[in-house]
Amino acid sequence: MAEETVDNNQADESADDVKDEASEASEETAVATEADAEAGSGGEAEGEPAADAGDDAAAETEGADEAAEPAAVVTEAVKPDLKFVKQVMASGGEDLKKCYQCATCSVVCNLTPDDNPFPRKEMQWAQWGLKEKLVGSPDVWLCHQCSDCVAQCPRDAKPGRVLQAIAKMTISNYSGGGITKALGSLGGTILMAVIPIAVILIALAANGSFSGVERGEEGQIVYSNFMPIFTAIDPIFTIAFAFAAIVLILGGRKYWNDMMNHHVSGGGKKPAKGFFGNLGPTLSEFLAHKRFRECDETKDRANSHLLIFYAFIGLALTTAWAVVYSDFLPLFGIEHHSPYAMTDPIKWLGNVSAAAGIIGITLILIYRFVHAEKVGLGSYFDWWLIVTIYVILLTGIGAELLRQADVATAAYTVYATHLMSVLFLFLYAPFSKMAHMIYRFVALVFARATGRDVGVGV
Amino acid sequence: MADKGVLVVGGGISGTTAAVEAAEAGLESVIVEKNPYLGGRVAQLYRYFPKLCPPYCGLEINFRRVKNNPRVTQYTLAEVESVSGSVGDFNVTVKLNPRYVNEKCTACGDCAKVCPVERPNDFNYGLDTTKAIYLPHDLAFPMRYVVDMNACKGESCGECVKACKYDAIDLGMQAETKEINAASIVYATGWKPYDAARIENLNADSIDNVITNVVMERMAAPNGPTGGKIVRPSDGKEVKKIAFAQCAGSRDRNNLEYCSAVCCMASLKQATYLREKSPEDSEATIFYIDLRAPGKYEDFLRKLEDDEKVTLRKGKVAKIEEDSATGDVIVTLEDVLGDGKMTETFDMVVLATGMEPSVASDKPAGDVALEEHGFIDADASPDGIFAAGVARRPNDVAESVQGATGAALKSLQSAREVSNV
Repeated sequence: MAEETVDNNQADESADDVKDEASEASEETAVATEADAEAGSGGEAEGEPAADAGDDAAAETEGADEAAEPAAVVTEAVKPDLKFVKQVMASGGEDLKKCYQCATCSVVCNLTPDDNPFPRKEMQWAQWGLKEKLVGSPDVWLCHQCSDCVAQCPRDAKPGRVLQAIAKMTISNYSGGGITKALGSLGGTILMAVIPIAVILIALAANGSFSGVERGEEGQIVYSNFMPIFTAIDPIFTIAFAFAAIVLILGGRKYWNDMMNHHVSGGGKKPAKGFFGNLGPTLSEFLAHKRFRECDETKDRANSHLLIFYAFIGLALTTAWAVVYSDFLPLFGIEHHSPYAMTDPIKWLGNVSAAAGIIGITLILIYRFVHAEKVGLGSYFDWWLIVTIYVILLTGIGAELLRQADVATAAYTVYATHLMSVLFLFLYAPFSKMAHMIYRFVALVFARATGRDVGVGV
Repeated sequence: MADKGVLVVGGGISGTTAAVEAAEAGLESVIVEKNPYLGGRVAQLYRYFPKLCPPYCGLEINFRRVKNNPRVTQYTLAEVESVSGSVGDFNVTVKLNPRYVNEKCTACGDCAKVCPVERPNDFNYGLDTTKAIYLPHDLAFPMRYVVDMNACKGESCGECVKACKYDAIDLGMQAETKEINAASIVYATGWKPYDAARIENLNADSIDNVITNVVMERMAAPNGPTGGKIVRPSDGKEVKKIAFAQCAGSRDRNNLEYCSAVCCMASLKQATYLREKSPEDSEATIFYIDLRAPGKYEDFLRKLEDDEKVTLRKGKVAKIEEDSATGDVIVTLEDVLGDGKMTETFDMVVLATGMEPSVASDKPAGDVALEEHGFIDADASPDGIFAAGVARRPNDVAESVQGATGAALKSLQSAREVSNV
């Protein structure tokens, strides 16, 4: 039988028992439950709809024809995905099982809607291994890691960390699991770094840069002589960017569709306005970082994240501008080559953005230590991105300064490292924490579309 | 064997039980109690669960056994200053603080009538005041007045001395020190209610109509500050709609990490206080994580479940606010078995705060080992050191009495072992 039979009179105790079985019991017991569940009618639950159990897991039950049980009996099917539970625990949610469902978290969270709030229910689902409910839910991404729940949790179960671990599983689920998994350890990250490093080294070798680099007309260091733009930078980074964009868009789309299917199959109405209809307001809310400001424990993140967010936009615009200079102006017969003078507005934008980035990421770093006592230092997943951003920004600024100081070997080395780290981020953005920019955004748009918004928006 | 008896630190329900049980088995017992009366926390209760009888039924039996047994000596206003020696031969120095009232006192109360000074009444958790010379409570044992020298103006006032017909007041009384030799020591030092102000997210301190469960006991008691009326501290309005927030600071790593074992039953019991006082139009809601009513107590829980004016709702109160216009209290929680986040307004909210062992903040004299939460770990303490009641672990009155009887048996064994050597 696929069911756990629950006596109606004891619904809540029994629900706890079921929970215990899925989360606390020995692995063998839980595996047996899983096997039983699969051996049953294709994993499909049978029996009475769980009208009275009142528990979220009861929603798993679907009505069926052969409701043989007497009315007082409620049936539930729990299909724990033990591997998922372990993955969540291995990805920063290691305290998941400490949760005893008091729901303090749902109350102290300022970003959760009142209706079916998070993260209490996610803690239960995660303990039970209900992967499907979690990875196709907007809620894990509506969480902005304020960590108010982490600070207030009486059990130190760190609900915010668990949600983040589940969010990571979302990335792995929609973008491609193997790479996310590989990036999840230092060894794997180093292994994955071989690709961008090799690509840049090959391009440099092909350009003959290892046997000397030509100086500019005034004897200055010219990076485009070290790494040519049109034949190396453009193709490599265009391909990497397109790859990341395609993977992210496809993943985001699939995530959207899954959320919509869950929403509709759960009795929700298909919203009148879809993704694009809700894009504008979500975007303007996001540009002001309103949600971060709702946090109590880590309110200051609103500013640090805002800085790094605009730094990225600024650096993207700088890059686009440079493409115009180097690739489009020559089409009109205007030659405007790098290095650009410090008086050129492109330098202003680039330098201001880089400074904002350094300040932002450093504030992020400082705040992490400031809040560590109450909310912890964060997971490997976070640090991966922090370190990557640091390497990109420091090598970018370093390359500029070393070029001006005319320290050739160091300048070229740092610049090459900069290119490698940017390529590294491009290639792995869809599989790392960087992908949060798409998945969180899609979840925010979805929440707005389906009325799961808490009204902090515009 | 007269000198080689048991010394019991603390004269609450556990301490008096341990002392009389040991004495009735032939051992000399000495009770050392810090307060001016015996009975401890139990004396401050309105009723016991689950029988809902007044706590004096148990206490008075113990008091009579103490009174009638020549082997029991009790010292109130007494503190253990130092302990030396080992099992079979502990030397305990006890400081006897002055009561300023001798055994001639008849508790007539003439002294308090003329006393010009008031002090907060700690027996009622500061909800009302007494005079500087006061009877600790209506059924105090010993039934004798006491002077709070922190409040009293001293001999320069002397109004009470003049008023006393029995020559029972001596404001110049001095502290004494007593050496007691004992074969074993039982620590029955009891507990303190957990300070609700320390529960960060509940704001208990700043909202008048949020009280704790121990205060609720005093409020419901006929000899309490409100004469048994359950009314709001802010405006004295009779409470009709009450909420109990379970695990307020319990099972919480930010506060008390453990379950105090009695708060669920205490809240269920206190819900009956209100329901009994106004059966027609009172409502009580208990917000819980898990309701713990083990063993025979389950019947009591079922009884409350059957009362349709009592709601048991799963979900911990995680936010409490005050409606400043009405003084009402608004609680926020997630209704775990229901529809999500909810707020509800009550006349008054009772925080079911837990028990903190007294010794955790006030380490007793003697070589006593404490476990991680501050309870006494007798097994890790030297031979001849035992613990009873909530000093040992959180438990209710019935279990305290059983544990205290066990401690009495251990004391007998210590005394016998030593005398047999």
